[in-house]
Amino acid sequence: MPLLSFLLGVPLLGALALSLLPAESLGRTYRSLAAVVMAIALVVSLAIARLFDPGNAAPQLTEVIPWLEPLGLSYRLSVDGLSLPLLVLNNFLTLIALLATSVNLPRPRLYYPLVLLLNAGVSGAFLADNLLLFFLFYELELIPLYLLIAIWGGARRSYAATKFLIYTAISGVLLLAGFLGLVWLAHASSFDFDPQLSTLLPLSSQLVLLGLILVGFGIKIPLVPFHTWLPDAHVEASTPISVLLAGVLLKLGTYGLVRFGVQLFPQAWQVLAPGLATWAVVSVLYGSLMAIAQTDMKKMVAYSSIGHMGFVLLATATATPLSILAAIAQMMSHGLISALLFLLVGVVYEKTGSRNIEVLRGLLNPERGLPLVGSLMIVGVMASGGIPGMVGFVAEFLIFRSSFLTFPVQTLLCMVGTGLTAVYFLLLVNRVFFGRLPNELTDLPPVAWGDRLPSLLLATLILILGIVPNWLIHWSKTTVSLLTTAIATLPAP
Amino acid sequence: MPNSLLETSWWVPCYGLVGAALTLPWATGYVRRTGPRPAAYFNLLMTVVAFVHGFFLLQQTRSGATATLVWHWLQAPGLDLSFSLLINSVTTGAMELVTGLSILAQIFALGYLEKDWGMARFFALMGFFEAALSGIAISNSLLLSYGLLEMLTLSTYLLIGFWYAQPLVVKAARDAFLTKRVGDILLLMGVVAVGSFAGSYDFPDLYQWAEHANLPDGWGFLLGLALIAGPTGKCAQVPLHLWLDEAMEGPNPASIMRNSVVVAAGAYILIKLQPILVACPGANIALILIGAVTAISESLVSIAQIDIKRALSHSTSVYLGLVFIGVGTNWTDFALFVLLTHAIAKALLFMSIGSVIMTTNCQDLTELGGLGGRMPATSSAFVIGGLSLIGCLPLGAFWSFYRGIGYYWQTMPWLVGLILVVNVLTAVNLTRVFRLVFLGPAQPKTRRAPEVPWPLAVPMVTLSILNVLVPLILQRVQLLPETIDWTIVALLVLSGLVGILLGGFVTLKRSWTRPIKIPLRFVQDLLAYDFYIEALYRYTVIWAVRSLAQVSAWVDRHIVDRIVNTTGVVSLVGGELLKYTASGQSQAYLLLVFIGVAILGGAIAWLLL
Repeated sequence: MPLLSFLLGVPLLGALALSLLPAESLGRTYRSLAAVVMAIALVVSLAIARLFDPGNAAPQLTEVIPWLEPLGLSYRLSVDGLSLPLLVLNNFLTLIALLATSVNLPRPRLYYPLVLLLNAGVSGAFLADNLLLFFLFYELELIPLYLLIAIWGGARRSYAATKFLIYTAISGVLLLAGFLGLVWLAHASSFDFDPQLSTLLPLSSQLVLLGLILVGFGIKIPLVPFHTWLPDAHVEASTPISVLLAGVLLKLGTYGLVRFGVQLFPQAWQVLAPGLATWAVVSVLYGSLMAIAQTDMKKMVAYSSIGHMGFVLLATATATPLSILAAIAQMMSHGLISALLFLLVGVVYEKTGSRNIEVLRGLLNPERGLPLVGSLMIVGVMASGGIPGMVGFVAEFLIFRSSFLTFPVQTLLCMVGTGLTAVYFLLLVNRVFFGRLPNELTDLPPVAWGDRLPSLLLATLILILGIVPNWLIHWSKTTVSLLTTAIATLPAP
Repeated sequence: MPNSLLETSWWVPCYGLVGAALTLPWATGYVRRTGPRPAAYFNLLMTVVAFVHGFFLLQQTRSGATATLVWHWLQAPGLDLSFSLLINSVTTGAMELVTGLSILAQIFALGYLEKDWGMARFFALMGFFEAALSGIAISNSLLLSYGLLEMLTLSTYLLIGFWYAQPLVVKAARDAFLTKRVGDILLLMGVVAVGSFAGSYDFPDLYQWAEHANLPDGWGFLLGLALIAGPTGKCAQVPLHLWLDEAMEGPNPASIMRNSVVVAAGAYILIKLQPILVACPGANIALILIGAVTAISESLVSIAQIDIKRALSHSTSVYLGLVFIGVGTNWTDFALFVLLTHAIAKALLFMSIGSVIMTTNCQDLTELGGLGGRMPATSSAFVIGGLSLIGCLPLGAFWSFYRGIGYYWQTMPWLVGLILVVNVLTAVNLTRVFRLVFLGPAQPKTRRAPEVPWPLAVPMVTLSILNVLVPLILQRVQLLPETIDWTIVALLVLSGLVGILLGGFVTLKRSWTRPIKIPLRFVQDLLAYDFYIEALYRYTVIWAVRSLAQVSAWVDRHIVDRIVNTTGVVSLVGGELLKYTASGQSQAYLLLVFIGVAILGGAIAWLLL
């Protein structure tokens, strides 16, 4: 049974089915059905993980259907230790996002199919084994996300959505240019993913092509200075969409770095690596400093995302098996943690009507505040700040440990960024949750268990993976050495 | 049986965690009908279990049994992060000290927080605290110790912030976390570096590596500083010392633990790191410098405090400064000795003043007085604790000072002077506090002070007895010197007496909170405000971070985003304008596409060829 196609088919068919429901169906019906679809997808992805052989480094469960042969486009899917964790993360977080969606949302008939389409697009991009096919999925995911921000967003949603669209479209164009250039210059017969392709080119053309791809994914991750779409998109997007954006969509960028940077252009990558590590430092420190200056909680979390994704770039630049493993761990960890933080900020906003840390006070109050949300927030920010016992520490420690010998100075500077994380998140917790609850905030609506469940799930997972990190890296241990063989065999620069 | 006892030793720290987990239904407010007390009992029970388990372990290890347990925490290609535990008589002894003090502090908390709505939360955090501490005691891996140290940082933050509705508390919690975090991040840098160089995190492997370590120029020095920074923050040493003083805003039972064993955890790790620091040139000098500066300056600062808890907390930094000196001079025996005797004495002092605060609801020294006769158990506890802290024959600290002086007499005489000065100043401070709190006429707040109820009295009296018994215990484990050098004894006892006399006869006027003479007032303010170091930080580090953040925010909004938006607007407007050129003629389109492709192709060709 072609499980990978099935995995893509489930949300697609689900989206189709949901849009065919009678128009007068309740929001609750849509949500439950969409959640069921996503649950099935999650089970399928877990089944794939079960069938996946972690001892085998090569791509597995490959499915090939010839498609547009003359164009070099074929429908090739496969899964390896890099894509599998992200695949599971995508399905899990989409389910969480669905559970966190308000049942009273307007136009549910459009909303839920779009979320499912988004999920399928992202899964497809992770699975694609053909450059053009990846590009198609990469663009496919863009349309639903644009609509999700533009229709269900906040006051300045159309500005934010347009900005997002332009940015990501440029990113797509650069990627396409890079892929086309690679295939044409190497005179390849198809766009099928082939790590050998770049070795046929002179180093200068490799560098140009890699540059295009780096900027393309740099926009998606996002790396400073291509980041300005992210805070706007996050602030205007609704909570579940923010969860997906930070938790999954950004990972497409870092996934791309590893897959189409490290693996596809080993030689050029090695040349650029020191620069990339420095770029990571800039991104980490800039994102963290920006986060300190924010007064909007959501913006703060968004900028913190920029900082934390910078760590992934550092690890990717190092490009040893361990550092790539660390990068994967950080992608997973950031996915879970930022999802938790966005969910909680969403709950606070929904109950208090504000996200301003200068207005909110004392929400930890056990009788009239949001004590559980506050406690979970403390878990979230501590995980994000890299306190041991939680998944954030595992990932960050692996990154620092694996990159230190290659880029000592850059690694140490990135660790300063970790310290800054504590600064801004402590500001947040201290201002918003500690202190005396002001009288204007005393009549908060109760938090239902439905609001708490997604955050509780995430917090539990963050703790469990922090204590037993072997589960986090189980699938990727062998693949990472295959991803970096080409670089490892290169002579030192 | 014996082997299984050793193999299950890792349970001891876990009991604390289990206790913390058991309190969660109450701490989260899920169970309300019973009130928070069951949570406290559960936690206390688990601590007792841990203590009993540890007791049998101690019996076993004292007869020579040792064990090393290894847990492979994370296995990745080229990296095996394992946590190992070392069970021997020293580590289990330390663990027993932690659990024992934890039991006493928890009983104390039963009385102290009797009417507090957050009692269950407090006990949850105490369980967490205890777990991390006893874990550090038996940890044999730098990485595990680092992780537990961070857990302590987190739980300290939450315990200080226990009464989070008060602004001072919020500030104190923040400062404590950030200060320690600075130390911890530097330590993490050291941990990462050491791991990369040595390839393992087990202390024995690291020691072996340190013997032959050949670090590149400068790295050794930096590594040493990084490794020291963590304990510096944890032990409240200059320049990362301000948090401990502010931390006194937290509930007192936590202060008992914090001032006795939590700060000691940092020092304990430092002692473990000592063989590695040997490989780092300059580290020892830094340690001695930090320790000496802290010991002297904090002794002086403590004398100028009018908050009863703060007056004692500064003295905690002083004693840990001595520990730093001990490690810096590679005389870890002295360091361990100071840690042990200080922990027991300081815990008792904090119980005593906790009782005072509980009874009078006041911790301002100028508003207390005349409690001696009213609270006999409390005042005698203070006397015993105080005497155990200064070099008073034959109580605890005397023997640690004795050890220090005996060692430094020949090698570094100036350290003998330092220890004596510390002894004098501590005695002055304790006598001053004693006079203000327990002697003199009763004040409005102390006039109707009764002795404390049993939950506070029992642990306090128990610990008083224990303090008196310390010399016997030391003798039992053969830690007392065989021959006595009477010169040192005379020096120590005399210096203690001088301090007591100085403290006893200096004029203390309650009505003047500040001296009238300008120079004196300047000195007092200087000391009372910690040499204005807080202000210094505010105008340097904090200002720098804040300004950097604001500058980057400005750049982001006005430069980066503006460039982006201009580009966006240009392309949008361009599109709007271009739409009028759409003529519908396919030839024109083709021509345009052709020109475009030609330009692009030309550009790429020029770039690549």
